[in-house]
Amino acid sequence: MGSFVRLGNALGAAGIAMVLLVAFGLQFGLNEPPCPLCTLQRVAFVLCSFGFVLNLRFGVQPLHYGLALLGALFGVVASGYQVLQHIAPGAAAYGSPILGMHLDTWSLMLFFAVIAVTALLLMLSGRPDHDRSDHQTAMRFRGILRFAVYLLIAVTLANAANSFAQCGPNECAANPTGYWISQVLR
Amino acid sequence: MTALIFLMMAIAMMTASAGYRGTSIGLFGVSFVAAVLWFDRYAIEMPRLPL
Repeated sequence: MGSFVRLGNALGAAGIAMVLLVAFGLQFGLNEPPCPLCTLQRVAFVLCSFGFVLNLRFGVQPLHYGLALLGALFGVVASGYQVLQHIAPGAAAYGSPILGMHLDTWSLMLFFAVIAVTALLLMLSGRPDHDRSDHQTAMRFRGILRFAVYLLIAVTLANAANSFAQCGPNECAANPTGYWISQVLR
Repeated sequence: MTALIFLMMAIAMMTASAGYRGTSIGLFGVSFVAAVLWFDRYAIEMPRLPL
């Protein structure tokens, strides 16, 4: 069961990295810079992936799952708020719909999925890894587990660069049309 | 600000993978509070519900 739970945590971390990569693909493919609330939803994905990172590196512990749930709850609030902004008939939503739904709706569904997966992993985890030494858990942190964490770190750094390129030191526009860095370099 | 939050989270993940659990959880806490405060700054409009 332990290896299954570790694999579940690795898939959780890699899955969130893939979600962030798809968001990047849509941003540049459709030429639609993310709105401030959309960027905060990306932050929430990174926050809830942190619990999976801790589980992979230090062993499975309830505190780590709690951090993942906190991040997912923040994501539910941020994406739910944006969905409620556009739920009234005739209200214009931000961005193009993907497979019939806007990205804020997809985010809300994904945050609920993260909560469900975290609850499932928490139930399957059994006894916490308090009794294992740091050396033991560090020795198991290799291969696909290490790759999932490094992929997540790379995507998070790319998001930091993207946010700075879009807004710079200023506050982001509510409906962004371009990038701050392109105006500076012009 | 969101760039800073992303950067702090990346550093938190790097310190976690290097084995510094307490530092990484502290960085997570700072990032989480910053994200909530930043959301509060943008969540200024009441949701327009069809009633």
